[in-house]
Amino acid sequence: MKKVLASALAIVALALSPLAAQVPVNLHGRSADGANGVVAAAKPEASQVGVDILKKGGNAVDAAIATAFALGVLEPNASGVGGGGFMIIKLANMKEAVVVDFRECAPAASTPDMYKFDEKGKVIDNATFEGGLSVGVPGEVKGLLYAFDKFGSKKLSRAQVLQPAIDYAEKGYKVTVNLEQIIKDNFEKLKKFENGGAIYFDGGLPYELGATIKNPDYAKTLKAVAAKGADAIYKGEIAKAIVDEVRKRGGILSLEDLANYQVKERKPVVGTYRGYTIMSVPPASSGGTHLVELLNIMENFDLAKTGEGTPATGHLWAEAMKLVFADRSKYMADTDFVQVPLKGLASKAYAKELAALIAADKSMPSATAGDPSKYESGSTTHLSVMDKAGNMVAITKSINYFFGSGVVVPGWGIIMNDHMDDFVPKPGSANSVEPGKRPLSSMSPTLVLDPKGRSFMTLGSPGATRIFPTVAQVISNIVDHGMSVQEAILAPRYFQMASGKLNVEGRVPINTYNALGPLGHELALKLDWDAYFGGVHAVLYDYDAKMLRGGADPRRDGQAAAY
Amino acid sequence: MKRSLLSLLAILALAAGLAAQSPAYNLKSPIASKPAFLSSAGQSADVEMVKVLLDRSKIPFKADAQAKAPALAASGAKTLVLAIGGSSKGLGAAGISAEAELERVKAVIAEAKRLGMKVIGLHVGGEARRGELSDKFILAALPACDYFIVVADGNKDGLFTKLCSERKIALDAVEKISKAGDPLAKAFK
Repeated sequence: MKKVLASALAIVALALSPLAAQVPVNLHGRSADGANGVVAAAKPEASQVGVDILKKGGNAVDAAIATAFALGVLEPNASGVGGGGFMIIKLANMKEAVVVDFRECAPAASTPDMYKFDEKGKVIDNATFEGGLSVGVPGEVKGLLYAFDKFGSKKLSRAQVLQPAIDYAEKGYKVTVNLEQIIKDNFEKLKKFENGGAIYFDGGLPYELGATIKNPDYAKTLKAVAAKGADAIYKGEIAKAIVDEVRKRGGILSLEDLANYQVKERKPVVGTYRGYTIMSVPPASSGGTHLVELLNIMENFDLAKTGEGTPATGHLWAEAMKLVFADRSKYMADTDFVQVPLKGLASKAYAKELAALIAADKSMPSATAGDPSKYESGSTTHLSVMDKAGNMVAITKSINYFFGSGVVVPGWGIIMNDHMDDFVPKPGSANSVEPGKRPLSSMSPTLVLDPKGRSFMTLGSPGATRIFPTVAQVISNIVDHGMSVQEAILAPRYFQMASGKLNVEGRVPINTYNALGPLGHELALKLDWDAYFGGVHAVLYDYDAKMLRGGADPRRDGQAAAY
Repeated sequence: MKRSLLSLLAILALAAGLAAQSPAYNLKSPIASKPAFLSSAGQSADVEMVKVLLDRSKIPFKADAQAKAPALAASGAKTLVLAIGGSSKGLGAAGISAEAELERVKAVIAEAKRLGMKVIGLHVGGEARRGELSDKFILAALPACDYFIVVADGNKDGLFTKLCSERKIALDAVEKISKAGDPLAKAFK
């Protein structure tokens, strides 16, 4: 009888549950450990896709590519076929890591003065980040397949790594708290460019928590990629549809731009931090170089001694970031077009000079008269993969703003990027628009070797200019403060441009918050868990336990998966 | 045993009935007349969502997110519907300051009262559409409302409950934006 009653009560509870449904943002259980392989990405389903590929005999690259394609479906606001990014790969048998640069580039018809300004100095019609003129030549499919073909295990077919993404696009995925809010926040954009609304609205209103979103048009696109490779996107029917829609929305993208797009394989920026080797991406991302520069500066201070979460440590981070951002605004651009003093920026001697400018008891008002202009929005995604062989892959990719330019290719479900916004929209800057040039980025997919030279960690983050400071803080949390990878990700973060306010995450210790003001910092208190500071996904090899440990970020929908 | 089973079945049937039943609203009878005039209080995109709710509810309306007071009389509307929620992005796009928007909203409400129109307020933006900027518009507009609908997530701190109970304004909370159309439709005669 008791059993019957219990069952009945359970049924009643179930029947009533929709009335009281609450899905909390879960801070726990984001990490995962495995002896064979770990994938950490911005969606649990995407991480699982990667693990399933590893189980099928794929290597870390195969898993990363499958995860990356799945993210384009599951996190459509952040990345996809219409975007681009950077990837860094080090297979266990490679002496050096390689960077695959699949960042968007400016269309051939672009010019430094292509954007017009109103009398208040604002770009007319938000043309740098909304509509066709904001669209750069996308690199995602060429980039991902380049890596798959060259560095994949060759045990799995292209169709096999694309199939999970196709399945999610066809069968749908659930809307999370995070995605619901992002769709609501971008309601106007999706409505204005109605093709986006047709996918992400339910009868004219944003899809809400728990609803299922399907994108069969995007499934069709991915099927074409599975069948024909990158040519499916860069030539023929889909290319024409992309160009037609972008031009219909005021853009200048051409079929030639798509056909001529080139992935670039580059040498990584390499530095060290307290004996660990840091490998990250060179320009057109500023991220890797400045990550190394920032860590080089911080290496001059004994952070283990100043302590985690203390005013002294927070002050040092803030001051070092000011110095790095001053350099960034002055020097950084696409090195294919502009001379950038990369060696100097990444040198220990230069960092020592900069570190000497930092006073322990006083904040410098500004590291330069600098231009703290923004370069990127926070809508990007990062994934990390590592397997038991020590193969490491880190990919950061993006369509720039949430839902990119808003331009969605009808019949194919592709959201086009607005990465032209990452250029300075006027002539005269190292980062001004030029045909074929890649706009400056902060993306910093990063690999770390331990002091013995072994594969140690793969990590990265979305978050625009916050990316490399966030990556640096997570590395320091592990190296200096002995945190686990998940603790390092959860710890509150700081962000400071060359001038202006020091942004601190809400959970920073109150004593630290109170002590930073008297040092001269003007503080901006952010939310307790603020996506402003990015979303780090990392995998670390714990050699003592012979275990891969994945960490993921609750500031987004991050989740690691392992086996 | 049979009796127990029967009782359990009755409980189940009751529970299922409760779950299936349309929700009981605090607004017991319609207060508003058609047509409606929709405007924004705070220039958030929420006004666009309320447009969809009105469309779905088949309530005839005119909409102008930046309407000035004289527009009400010219519209011939009998009810003012306000989509409340501040957005710095929306204000920027509209080219107005928060202060100017507050003045506009107050003037529109005053005109609605002068014309004898009912005022229905909606806050559909949830928790994310709260905070200093939005709260300015909530505090300015809510006291003038005859009826208020809020997406429950935006009322976690009980602000809407408190303000409405103090002023004896009927308040209905709904779980999702898509559920706000039903009480909105029922508010109209």
